[in-house]
Amino acid sequence: MASAAEHLASRVAGRHPELPETTAGTLRLDIRVNGHTDHWYLTIHDQKVDVSRSSAEADLVVAADRAVFDGLAAGRAHIGSALLRNDVYARGDLRLLMLLRRLFPGPPDARHPRTSGLTGEAAG
Amino acid sequence: MKQELVHVLAGNSFAVSDAEGDMRPDPQVPVGLFSFDTRFLSHWVLTVDGSPLNSLSRDDLEYFETRFVLVPGTASHYVDANVSVIRHRSIDDSFNERITVLNHSARPAEYTVRMEVGNDFADTGEIAGPRPRPVTVTRNPRQLRLRYQRERFSRETVVTATEPAEVDDAGLTFRIKVPPNGSWTTDLHVQMVLRGEGSRDIRAHLEAHQQQVRADMREQLRQWRDRAPQLSAARGAVAETYQSCLTDLAALRYTPLAYAQAVPVGGLPWAMTLYGRDAIVTCLETLPFTPELTPATLRALALAQGGQLDDAHDEEPGKIISETRYGESAAFGDQPTSLYYGAADTTPLFVVLLDEYELWSGDGDLVRQLRHPARMALDWLDTYGDLCGDGYLRYQRRNTAKGVINQCWKNSPDAIRDRHGHAPAFPRATCELQGYAYDAKLRGARLAREFWGDPAYADRLEREAAALKERFNRDFWLPERGYYALALEPDGTPVDALASNIGHLLWSGIVDEDRAVSVAGHLMDDRMFSGWGVRTYADGQLPYNPVAAHLGAVWPADNALIAAGLRRYGLDLESARIVDAMFALAERLPGPVPEVVAGYSRQVTKYPVQLPSAGRPQSWSSGALLMLLGTGLGLRPCGENLLVDPALPDGFGQVDVLDIPGRWGYSDAHARDRGPRARGQRRRLRR
Repeated sequence: MASAAEHLASRVAGRHPELPETTAGTLRLDIRVNGHTDHWYLTIHDQKVDVSRSSAEADLVVAADRAVFDGLAAGRAHIGSALLRNDVYARGDLRLLMLLRRLFPGPPDARHPRTSGLTGEAAG
Repeated sequence: MKQELVHVLAGNSFAVSDAEGDMRPDPQVPVGLFSFDTRFLSHWVLTVDGSPLNSLSRDDLEYFETRFVLVPGTASHYVDANVSVIRHRSIDDSFNERITVLNHSARPAEYTVRMEVGNDFADTGEIAGPRPRPVTVTRNPRQLRLRYQRERFSRETVVTATEPAEVDDAGLTFRIKVPPNGSWTTDLHVQMVLRGEGSRDIRAHLEAHQQQVRADMREQLRQWRDRAPQLSAARGAVAETYQSCLTDLAALRYTPLAYAQAVPVGGLPWAMTLYGRDAIVTCLETLPFTPELTPATLRALALAQGGQLDDAHDEEPGKIISETRYGESAAFGDQPTSLYYGAADTTPLFVVLLDEYELWSGDGDLVRQLRHPARMALDWLDTYGDLCGDGYLRYQRRNTAKGVINQCWKNSPDAIRDRHGHAPAFPRATCELQGYAYDAKLRGARLAREFWGDPAYADRLEREAAALKERFNRDFWLPERGYYALALEPDGTPVDALASNIGHLLWSGIVDEDRAVSVAGHLMDDRMFSGWGVRTYADGQLPYNPVAAHLGAVWPADNALIAAGLRRYGLDLESARIVDAMFALAERLPGPVPEVVAGYSRQVTKYPVQLPSAGRPQSWSSGALLMLLGTGLGLRPCGENLLVDPALPDGFGQVDVLDIPGRWGYSDAHARDRGPRARGQRRRLRR
């Protein structure tokens, strides 16, 4: 299972057709690990994401413990719920948080609705 | 007899009390002070010298402001006629109550005024039986703080008084001396805090919410009314209904955490959050009158568009949300509501709304900006919405524990039944979903051709729409009955019930021209048309029940779409009957138009029968009356102009609407009912 750092380093940079072409912005992820903070800086533009390591100011800053980010990277945590729980702290333009959702995977055991239909519930 | 409830509201914050202004928890109704899906006051009771207060009068000044005039004692026995109390409350992002105690005697008087304060921090999803929560109480001079903490999730109620008070864990006591014929006043300010990192409110860190200044609510309401077209009508109640609906829509605007512009919430008391379906339908209903709701709604929905496969949230890439909530049960996944996608209709309707908005506003920039989400929505129809691969849009929940069973507007668990009460198998293809999909494809084609520079895709969508219409008219039509099946089972078996869903088919344009009269005949006959509107489900079928929300009751939002559909097919008389009935309903019920009324025949009850469970105000009900007005006036964008083609019910007389906004700037509509003599000239129904 990929950690958040591995996920950011290997799978986030690059082209993402699932992002709207009209949205652009900068995000900083502050991953708290054992008393220090790793900064990851994401620049989103034209359905592309550039990833670097920087503590520069960004349109949206998202901070959380490493375990929370690892949960997001593994598809085990939902970033919307994590924000409501205060497991994730966000400052700035929250619209970008919705884009960040698309850069992290969904739950690993999720089914396509068509497959689910074959094993689904009977008439209720 | 249930006691009257009084509410004030602003966006997703609201307070519900009894007629005296007191709040005590009720398992059936969300009584108390609520914001962001959390109760912030469950107990708020005022006494004077230990005596409860009794209401003499009340002014509901505006939707966000109420004034209670009270005296100690009960209705039959006044303890002291020399004292009266005024509670003047208002709500914005906090709750404020000004308490004034008046001494009517010629001598100075001493009173003990006490406000009992308590809270259970219940989630709006568990009003029937809130679980016990540990609440920490902190007392300061003039201030009481109640706090609930679960892990890092924290909600806090802070009650502050402007006058000296003795504060204990259960309230604030004021020992006061009031001069002869004098008064004493304190303001109680109740902050509802969503604690974030560093003990600051979550909202303080979010730009969208910093922009939402606490502007003067009265001024905002005045501006809202000024921006809407001015209406005058010979039938005076029409103008009153119009104004009242506009005010409801103002009250139900709220600003989501992620977005700076206001969108409509569903409505009081259970749906005080963004519901994709309610918001889209409200926008469709209100385009000629309050178009500003639409771009904000489209953008907010696009932001929250599904991006993953996620069974718990019934999410798929491209899907438009059903519901989003901020409470504890959403935060901890007890309910899938932080972002829940269990709706099959929101996604096609999103595309329908985008196109319709452009037709009215001429805002091509928005269409270009939202190309990607609109394209994802259109792709969703075929990729994820077509669950059996037979070309029909269907639904079946993957979250079998907490997901919504019927993912269409008739979302009660037993809403979809054949005429004998048999429940069809899943995945279910209800008929109106096919109409929405058809309409979405045609509208998507127009957008692709005119704005996205993609004529090949436009051609493809048009071919798909044509094929869907042909297939639908073959597979859903019940020739022996003369109407469309309510749904198809996975094996193609039609669900033969007669239900109002067929009216939506007219609105979407998927009905073959030569079948419209037959469909309208069913909608308007006595089994379907109650006299107050078209029932959700026809009388004479086994599951019919006039008090069942989706199996017999009458919904204004449903009727608004049906009336528009009837006019689309030139069935003006039938459309006008619905417009007439709905305005009659609104005129007979004081206060906001409820989301639903019972399906009893008007001839029997003479009066629309209200259902205790029906919420109001509700965005799509208040919007429905505006849409019905627009349908009666025949307001339609036509190229760069506003077309006015009235078909008003007899008795409406003259109706004038000034300054209807749109791509034409502002335009006026003047209309008059055609009177009884014109009747014979219009298209008649044949059965």
